[in-house]
Amino acid sequence: MKPRWRKVLSDLWDNKTRTLLVVFSIAVGVFSIGVISGAYVIIKNDMSASYAANHPANIELRMEDFDRDFLTSVQNAPDIESAVGRRIFAIRARPVNSTQWAALDIVAVDDFKKNDINLLTPISGAPLPGKREVVVEKKVLKEFQVAVGEDLVFELSDGSTQTLKVVGIVQDPTTGADDFLAPPFVYVTMSTLPTLRQPDAFNRVYATVDSGKNDEAHIRNVSADLVSRIEKNGKDVSRSRIALTNEHPLASTVNAILGILMALGILIVFLSSSLIANTLAALLNQHLRHIGVMKLIGGRANQIFGMYLVLILAFGLLALLIAVPAGGQGAYGLALFIADKLGFSLLGYRIVPMAFIIQIAIGVLVPLLAGFAPVIEGSRITVLSAISGEAGRETAGKPTPGAKRESRWEHFQVRAAQALLRRGIHLPRPLLISLRNTFRRRNRLILTLFTLTMGGAIFIAVFNVRTTLFDYMDNVGHYFVADVTLDFEKPYRLSEIENVARQVPGVVDVEGWAFATAEVLFPDGSVAENLTVLAPPAGSKMVDAQPVAGRWVQAGDTKQIALTEGILRSFPNLKPGDLLTVKTNGRTDHWQVVGFFKFIDREGLIAYGTYDYFSREANLANRSVSFRVVTDTHDQPYQRALSEALDQHFRASSYKLRQARPGLSALDNATESLDILVIFLLIMAVLTAVVGAMGLTGTMSMNVLERTREIGIMRAIGAGDGEIIRMVIVEGMVIGSLSWLLGLALSVPFTYLLSTIVSLAVFETPITVVFTPLGYFIWLGLVVVLSALASVVPARNAARLTIREVLAYE
Amino acid sequence: MIAIQQVVKTFKNAAGEFTVLKGVDLTIEKGQFVAIIGKSGSGKSTLLNMMTGIDRPTAGKVFIGATDLYAMSESKRSLWRGKNMGIVFQFFQLLPMLTLLENVMLPMDYVGMYDVDERPRRALELLTLVGLEKQAGKLPLAVSTGQQQLAALARALANDPPLLVADEPTGNLDTRTADIVIELFQHFAEQGKTVVMVTHDPSLTERTSRTIIISDGEVVNETLAQAFPLLSHRQMLALTKQSVRQTVAPGKVVLSRDQHVDQLYIVVSGQAEVSIERKKHASAVARLAAGEFFGEVELLRGGKAVATVCAAPDASLELLAIPHEALLAALKDSPLTEAALTRIVQHRVGDGK
Repeated sequence: MKPRWRKVLSDLWDNKTRTLLVVFSIAVGVFSIGVISGAYVIIKNDMSASYAANHPANIELRMEDFDRDFLTSVQNAPDIESAVGRRIFAIRARPVNSTQWAALDIVAVDDFKKNDINLLTPISGAPLPGKREVVVEKKVLKEFQVAVGEDLVFELSDGSTQTLKVVGIVQDPTTGADDFLAPPFVYVTMSTLPTLRQPDAFNRVYATVDSGKNDEAHIRNVSADLVSRIEKNGKDVSRSRIALTNEHPLASTVNAILGILMALGILIVFLSSSLIANTLAALLNQHLRHIGVMKLIGGRANQIFGMYLVLILAFGLLALLIAVPAGGQGAYGLALFIADKLGFSLLGYRIVPMAFIIQIAIGVLVPLLAGFAPVIEGSRITVLSAISGEAGRETAGKPTPGAKRESRWEHFQVRAAQALLRRGIHLPRPLLISLRNTFRRRNRLILTLFTLTMGGAIFIAVFNVRTTLFDYMDNVGHYFVADVTLDFEKPYRLSEIENVARQVPGVVDVEGWAFATAEVLFPDGSVAENLTVLAPPAGSKMVDAQPVAGRWVQAGDTKQIALTEGILRSFPNLKPGDLLTVKTNGRTDHWQVVGFFKFIDREGLIAYGTYDYFSREANLANRSVSFRVVTDTHDQPYQRALSEALDQHFRASSYKLRQARPGLSALDNATESLDILVIFLLIMAVLTAVVGAMGLTGTMSMNVLERTREIGIMRAIGAGDGEIIRMVIVEGMVIGSLSWLLGLALSVPFTYLLSTIVSLAVFETPITVVFTPLGYFIWLGLVVVLSALASVVPARNAARLTIREVLAYE
Repeated sequence: MIAIQQVVKTFKNAAGEFTVLKGVDLTIEKGQFVAIIGKSGSGKSTLLNMMTGIDRPTAGKVFIGATDLYAMSESKRSLWRGKNMGIVFQFFQLLPMLTLLENVMLPMDYVGMYDVDERPRRALELLTLVGLEKQAGKLPLAVSTGQQQLAALARALANDPPLLVADEPTGNLDTRTADIVIELFQHFAEQGKTVVMVTHDPSLTERTSRTIIISDGEVVNETLAQAFPLLSHRQMLALTKQSVRQTVAPGKVVLSRDQHVDQLYIVVSGQAEVSIERKKHASAVARLAAGEFFGEVELLRGGKAVATVCAAPDASLELLAIPHEALLAALKDSPLTEAALTRIVQHRVGDGK
């Protein structure tokens, strides 16, 4: 091996700490981008592929009960390839040995073997249920623990219970794929329905179209045509939904979130490249003498340039050895996690070629780009300045000839300290050293501050985004003021239910609400949105409405509704006062929009109307099937307890109660899903913080290495271990604190940016940004601790140096 | 007092072990202004490092007063050094981020000497002492190299240590500033401080109270060096090793006329009386004090003793006896010493001494 390559090899090997620092700086960026790009590709591909593999329905219709003959007429409709009927209804269930009920949806299928739409993927046990058996979707296991072979107790509408055996666990990537907040499913055959006191009739149609399975307009037309045919046959369709075969309904949401993660990944690469630039500049600085000697004995600039490029390349390759396999595993792990949360399956572990190429490119190119400037500068240095050590040297060493002027910054520092002294403020010299050391290598400081500030700003912004999201959920909670919701099998008089409910201690108020469902139509008559109208009595205490435009519904309103902003997706120019064409109870009508409010649109839009009008329309004046109860305490455990008490009381009083639900439970799933999102963002924030801390460790190590001689001098004039360690740690903490201050400012635009992207992805509407001091304080604590930790190792190394080593360092 | 006892320092590297100090014994009394000189690589800086506690001996002990320097941890030694020793380096070693005043205050901060309010005043006094009061607020890079060394000297005095140690303090200075620095050292020594200075510059030894020569990691006998200053350090060390110390009681004869002489004697302490026989009467012709020698005539001309030498009657006589053979070998390689010695012999014989 040529001596010059021997030198490169020994540069790699001899200073292992520095090599590890550079390699990890590169690896962390390559790893992050590998995880995110790999997960992006896997999810983008597998989410829709696994969705398509389960033959998703293109059209889903919710309608009144129908029989097999009617289903045949649907199957024979034009452009319909296949159609199946199912019965889906809500139920409560619990394991035999538990008392805790969970709300589930039962999906009854006529013939599982012939079923060719919304297929189930077996996970364990039998893939299909027999009579009086159930298979459960794996999301059920999040509600309670149940194994194949065990029994589940179901609560029937008359209050009695039935026990059915669980024979299998399956995954259903298609049914309810558009709504990850939907309750988990349990599957039975239609022959089990009588056992569950349910009629042998379907209430859903799932159909596929025979062509244009990915043509939204075509599917919409076929759906509209099908609905019209069904309604001509005297059946009401309360809701219709269309979906493409090769696109998961949540793909756009997930892609948006992956996009945010990708942006953060790119940022991490950017930050790690500043870390690399810093480290390489310091390395070149330490090597100036070597460069001088090499030039002295005949080395040319391009040869030296080549040597250091090879060294950088070697750093990059070592980083790739670590980051590529780890990134591949991480990508699959992240994809698996997201798939599990969203209920789809992956096509198996694999190396993603694109992620692999991106990683290689970043691992090789970023260090080369980051190191280019320092290497060029280093290789161009003159022999004289390299050998004399003039270049890159601070003035602690040998005296420089002649007296120079202080720089403005130095002048300012000295004058500031003197001004403080005049005011009687004594800054101890050791502290002054730490403070002034902080600003000695300004380029290095700027890069370190940049890395740490970005990490901090993202960290703080994530907390703000979290608060923003939960604040939005809280606002949504204004529409869930009721502590318990009572749903009955049949309508009851308002006064009657109120009287019975008030017999339960803790009940303060009871309201009966009316409901209506409608489809909002485009001018051409096709369905734009599904709409659910909630109609509380005028002046209801159960809704704390906060319209963002127009007004809320009020007494005397008839065909007036307040609507969620989600309607603007289909009608961007809609204003309060405009009319919407709707189809309700099989007839077309016009409702006036009086105002907009913010809400999470689940399975269609929500609107509010007045009880008087909508109960009359439904022939339920002074009666209702759904009641809202306010209790004297509003926490979740109390709501749950009172909901149980009301449940028992009404059943004991022979009322046909379907279910009593605690008020805030509806928000649980949504909150949980937001939590998952926040955790992702937090992981990325922590990664950026880690890169920042690594940057600081590198900076402090380089600072200590360059100031070994000064440390020796301090020791020679009386500084003990404690003083030396304190000096380094204080410097680290000064940098950390500065980055915190800068992070405060930068977190504001980051918060707006992230909140907007996330809210558009999740809620499809921009939401009001809320700031929380929590992130600022946690980051302050964290940055101080990280800075101290990042400085501890360099500080300890500094304290371990003997003065002889230090003064012989030249 | 500094007591260096049997100090050995061995460095290890890939090429093997290398002993720089080979069992050095040395005592420096309080108030002495001592120059340590020696060639490059002789071990003088290593010896200084042993005194300052900057490095650790492989064997042996170093006491400063009653303090065993290496019984302390490195950290405690730093604190001790800050209180008891001021060090001046060849390259000044001021901290570049602190002003001259702050540099001088720093040792006070580290060891907690003087009240916080008193520190700036004292630092300014010290800078005034070295003539830098007008530069006190400047950073080191903004003053000349000479001024940097004067500031380093002021820093060394910050905690008023009884011992000042300087490693080539004038090595980077112009003659004028070097002169000021040495004058200041003399001034501090006169005030009772012990000053130990390593230097390359033999002219500085004229201004110190004592000179210690280090050669090949060993200390040259100071009396021998004083008697034959023109020998090389290596020759001095060779003779040191071959010389023998003798103590003669007051009035006792060291050498009788006509006695066969095979050694040269150098007076270490006390006095030697030289007498020759004139007309069968012994007549004292000279009294030799420390640093002077006898037996040189016999060395150069051969034959028996031309005079009788005895210890003065008032005190015992300390002598260093050097075998003629060893000395002749040294003279062969040092014509200057031989010429000087010949001149002395001619002078003494001519004088009839």
